[in-house]
Amino acid sequence: MSDGGIRPGAAQDGPRSRRGAVPATRDRIPPNPFSRRTLLRGLSSPVGWIPGIFLVAIVGVLLLSSHFQNFGLGFFGPAWNPNPTDPSVATYGILYFVIGSAVTAGFALVLAMLLSLAIAISLVVFLPSPASRVLTSLTDLLAGIPSVVYGIWGYVILAPYFSKQLDPALSHALGWLPGFGGSPTEYAGGTGLILAIFILTIMVVPLTTALLRESLRAIPREQVESGLALGATRWEVLRRVQIPWARRSIPSAVLLGFGRAVGETVAVFMVIGNEVKLPTSLFSGSSTMATLMVGQFDSAFEYPDLLHALVEVALLLLAISLVVNLVGLRYFGSRGIVRVGVGP
Amino acid sequence: MNGNDERKTPPPDDELTRRGTSKRGSTVSVGLAVALAVVLLLIGIGGGYALEKGYGGSSTSAGSSVTITETGSTLIAPVMSLWGPNYTALHPNVAVTVGFTGSGTGISSAESGTVDIGGTDAYLTPSTAAQYNLINVPVAISAQLVFYNLPGLDQVHLHLNGTIVAMIYGGAITTWNNPLIQAANPGVNLPDQTIIPLHRSDGSGDTFMFSSFCYLSWKGWPNGYGTTVKWLASSPGYNGNGGMVSGLQNTQYGIAYIGISYETEALGYGLGYAALGDNLANANGTNPANYILPSATNISEDANLGLLNLAPPSVAVSLILGGVPGATNLQLGAGGTNPTVSDPTPYPIVNLEYLLISTHPANPSHQRYVVEFIQWILSYGNEPGKQLSAVSFLPLTPAVIGYDMEALQQVPVSS
Repeated sequence: MSDGGIRPGAAQDGPRSRRGAVPATRDRIPPNPFSRRTLLRGLSSPVGWIPGIFLVAIVGVLLLSSHFQNFGLGFFGPAWNPNPTDPSVATYGILYFVIGSAVTAGFALVLAMLLSLAIAISLVVFLPSPASRVLTSLTDLLAGIPSVVYGIWGYVILAPYFSKQLDPALSHALGWLPGFGGSPTEYAGGTGLILAIFILTIMVVPLTTALLRESLRAIPREQVESGLALGATRWEVLRRVQIPWARRSIPSAVLLGFGRAVGETVAVFMVIGNEVKLPTSLFSGSSTMATLMVGQFDSAFEYPDLLHALVEVALLLLAISLVVNLVGLRYFGSRGIVRVGVGP
Repeated sequence: MNGNDERKTPPPDDELTRRGTSKRGSTVSVGLAVALAVVLLLIGIGGGYALEKGYGGSSTSAGSSVTITETGSTLIAPVMSLWGPNYTALHPNVAVTVGFTGSGTGISSAESGTVDIGGTDAYLTPSTAAQYNLINVPVAISAQLVFYNLPGLDQVHLHLNGTIVAMIYGGAITTWNNPLIQAANPGVNLPDQTIIPLHRSDGSGDTFMFSSFCYLSWKGWPNGYGTTVKWLASSPGYNGNGGMVSGLQNTQYGIAYIGISYETEALGYGLGYAALGDNLANANGTNPANYILPSATNISEDANLGLLNLAPPSVAVSLILGGVPGATNLQLGAGGTNPTVSDPTPYPIVNLEYLLISTHPANPSHQRYVVEFIQWILSYGNEPGKQLSAVSFLPLTPAVIGYDMEALQQVPVSS
């Protein structure tokens, strides 16, 4: 994903080039440190090749280390049994890990989008500017915390709390809802899907909030003021002017958040419970493709088939993120991703 | 992408003025960034150079320093963290770095040659060892404990035997008041609660020992043994011995296998541990005399019985005692046999802790320091009641030390 996606500087050119004379918002846009265009142009082509070369090299090395071992259709089945004593009966089915990845990333993404939309709107529209400035830097700060810190916090502080307080309470209150009817053995240790989703949500929120916030901020002041001048209430301006303007950046926020959520490894490994099964409720322990790799990789050097299976999981994960990004670029690229923050 | 945008778009009309005010600031920040990068690069190169010098020059000048790198088993790491600094105190030019990474990493790092010493609870099979030019050097005797989180029973050492434990982890026993457990523990008020068996989610020598124990103790054990195996769907996984301790602390009615060097830590959390049954206890044994606590005496009985001397020449062995009465299996390394021991056996999960080192070192003058360090571990490091007892390990038997010293002769060193 281009870093232009989150750099507000990119927002400036969009409306101008399409419409000509949209009132400038340049007072908020920091100067581009690389604005010597000739220098950039000279460098951009060879430098631009570097990521591509890396990508091809990584995929190539992974393909080679997989020894192109064919696990058949069973690779997408549920049976995961790396039997070290009798490799002939070992089976490598990754279905439950794919499900774990999808469930954690999916739920975390939905929650994070709702939360960050609310946070972005309050930061830009409702809060007085000193408070908004402080809270903005605080949310940005959250994005910079290493994921292992979230993991430790989740494991040491939250897991006992989830196990003894929150999970039983949720199960008691919402047990009639599918997904909340877990038995006490499922939330015994506090680790599981719900804690992983919680941690992931907190990790994704700063990223998506930053995108949505900047896109809301890029709205020309005059548009908001003319709305108010026409007699619209603040809510109406928000609903009719500001949210439609910011809507275009939602797909890119979703893509960015998904990338973070599906690839997050260490923090999830510490809190998800590492059980290999079909989750029966949100309290179930589970595993994701990423946690499978981090947990099993050290043993894999002893068992070649396991190594090949893990490498193929890595390729699958890589393919998923590539497809997600390419689809994102294809459908939202011209507006949503490349020029984040540009309104309709 | 940004470049593309910029190319297509005509320059904003006021760009000159905007640049005029901000140019200095941006130049300064770019300059700072470049300077920082250069400094970091220099530090990196300098550090690497110093390290190289340390390795190369160590043979000539006594003042330069050597770093021995170790990674692997979280069971060995605590005692390695004692041995390392104590050795450095005596040999100020030798530093030892220790990694708490798990036996799987210890083995793979030793195989790839990224560390000097790989620590592992699971021996490397003789064929694998030969393939990677490594030798198994046993440095201490350890044991594994079976802990449980049962409120009110943490002071009681439940009687559990290999069959019971394997059936719990294999799914055949699911509640604490199962008749088999109750029969082995007459008079104990066992709760009618589902047992939650915890396992190690990383590649682990403890998993190797424990799955071996289950494999040998119950014919129905489904999934073999190794540093990673398939577990029950209802079995949560935790990372490292430390993770097992805190995970079990959070998991009421849970059960977990934990290395003996974490005994103190686990007891501090109010967890109880089992008296494990010997070979005679395995087939529904109810005689309390057949249940043995992992005390130092009981563990070292293995050595007194001479079990260690049954090891094949590679000393690739785990003393995992399962089987049925009269036909106890002593699990040996690949290529070894399983001799029958008809006497009652001592504590059933006893293990040698191994260091893996290369017999084809890239730098023999550096390897000399590694060998000297291990020789020190085998002599002073193994003194009874000192460093080893801090982690509840036991010293090696003379026979194994003799083997080790001979094995170390295979390592080419130059001074």
